[in-house]
Amino acid sequence: MTLTERILARAAGRSSVTPGEEVWASVDLAVMHDSSGPRRIGPLLDRLGGRLWDPEKVVLAIDHFSPPATLTHAEIVTLTRAWARERGLPHFFDEQGVLHNLLLEAGLARAGMLVVGADSHTCTAGAIGAVAVGVGATELATVLATGEIWLRVPPTVLVRFEGRLPSYLAARDLAMTVLGSLGADFAIYRAVEYGGDAVVTLPLDERAVLTNQAVEMGAKNGIIAPPPDAPRIRDGSLDLTPTAPEACEAAHTFRAGELEPLVALPPRVDRVRPVREIEGLRVDRAYIGSCAGGKATDLRLAARVLRGRRVRVPLVVTPATQAVVRECLADGTLGTLVDAGAVLQAPGCGACAGLHSGLLGPGERCVATVTRNNPGRMGHRSAEIYLASPLTVAASALTGRLTDPREVL
Amino acid sequence: MDVLEGAAWVFGDHVTTDDIYPGRYLERPLEEAGRYAMAGVDETFPCQVRPGDFVVGGLNFGAGSSREAAVLALKQAGVAAVVARSFGRIFFRNAINNGLPAVMVPDTSEIRTGDRLRLDLTSRQVTILRTGVSLPILNLTGISLEILRAGGLLPFTEARLAGRHP
Repeated sequence: MTLTERILARAAGRSSVTPGEEVWASVDLAVMHDSSGPRRIGPLLDRLGGRLWDPEKVVLAIDHFSPPATLTHAEIVTLTRAWARERGLPHFFDEQGVLHNLLLEAGLARAGMLVVGADSHTCTAGAIGAVAVGVGATELATVLATGEIWLRVPPTVLVRFEGRLPSYLAARDLAMTVLGSLGADFAIYRAVEYGGDAVVTLPLDERAVLTNQAVEMGAKNGIIAPPPDAPRIRDGSLDLTPTAPEACEAAHTFRAGELEPLVALPPRVDRVRPVREIEGLRVDRAYIGSCAGGKATDLRLAARVLRGRRVRVPLVVTPATQAVVRECLADGTLGTLVDAGAVLQAPGCGACAGLHSGLLGPGERCVATVTRNNPGRMGHRSAEIYLASPLTVAASALTGRLTDPREVL
Repeated sequence: MDVLEGAAWVFGDHVTTDDIYPGRYLERPLEEAGRYAMAGVDETFPCQVRPGDFVVGGLNFGAGSSREAAVLALKQAGVAAVVARSFGRIFFRNAINNGLPAVMVPDTSEIRTGDRLRLDLTSRQVTILRTGVSLPILNLTGISLEILRAGGLLPFTEARLAGRHP
């Protein structure tokens, strides 16, 4: 069995499962935020009796509308907080950053778990070796009431990156390599498992970029076998080792040393080109943030490029979580960014979901580390989002043009 | 609900949930969702679509965000079914969970906007009435079909809970 199949078999109380079959599985962790959560799920849960099946296994974060920028935001946040308090929710993150990053930071998502969340980027938690699946509000309401979900067991596509990751590349370049060569729908109804030296040597917050972007490939889940010291479920019999290529539907191997900085052109995540091919394209703004691109490693990589220099276009930085702020304050990263002219925002989803500060106006062109680049994602429908690594975003902010980080490193 | 007939509104490949229901409307009440159906592609759609019409996509229809408002917007605007070559999987589940048939067929290139389509869940095919061509339905088996027949995941779950705790 593949890693995903082994975890699903345990969750379904079975000794084995096969791709294509439907199973009812017990959920280890059910997660939601202020946009998908109580305001949508609350009334649905009430129809099912209103009780949480196990409050210890429920996580709620206020991240999309925090800190509230409008009265409407404030109303949503107030409703969310009241719901959490009413139920005495033990795992409630009150304006502390993005749900997906908090789950990994706090050790709530653990290897071997089945995690279900009312957000498409729930798959991020697969970075710790969990099967993490995004669903809609109605589905999560039934999970909160019953602790169960039906799933079709996905076949696994293995993606390996061999060799060492060059210093001018980040995990985002690896994810874009996959999207560029295999497309935005190659993994529909499939699990994408990542492996290889260039992956397992990444810090957890960078491994999370690969699993985060799995949904942009159409996948049900993205997963990486956990390192020995990863937090894991208490079930010694569960095998969490990487999947052998023979057990997978397909396997793709890339050599990290042969890759180069990439950019995904609007309007699609899979319109991927080497930065050098469109270098010099004027940009109006640069943005570093989101569950995919506002982590401590993103800010540190940007600081490496920006140290001792000044940006030429506005660079807005939205750290993913309060812990990212704390770490990057302590190690001087934030000072370097601010000295270079970057503008810092409070942690959260920021402009990525088109709901918070840093939005784009008509025709504006932005180079960004956000999750997606479809029209209207960060504001006006005619604005253009060029997705890139934090290194490329920082290099482009310095010149006001799309710039390969090798030019400035 | 086993046989539905309606006029087609054809969209292309990779229509995202931001096209179907742009993120900037997420803060609006769900009851208003229908006013913004397909607003990312065609803001006039809610005024032009008639109750019972079908939305037709190509590959990967509904890719992206998990926002259920995308499905509710289509339903509120009067859309009775969505036909595509493949679906973003969360959109598919949201559609079934809200009782909106989302059917996969091998090819949608012969369907033109305005064509009358007949969706038959019993014979498992979608027929283009203009040409008489029938396309086999490739999905909607097992649990997803049971949920759709129950009228959505909430009634399905209510029945399931009632069965377990009589």
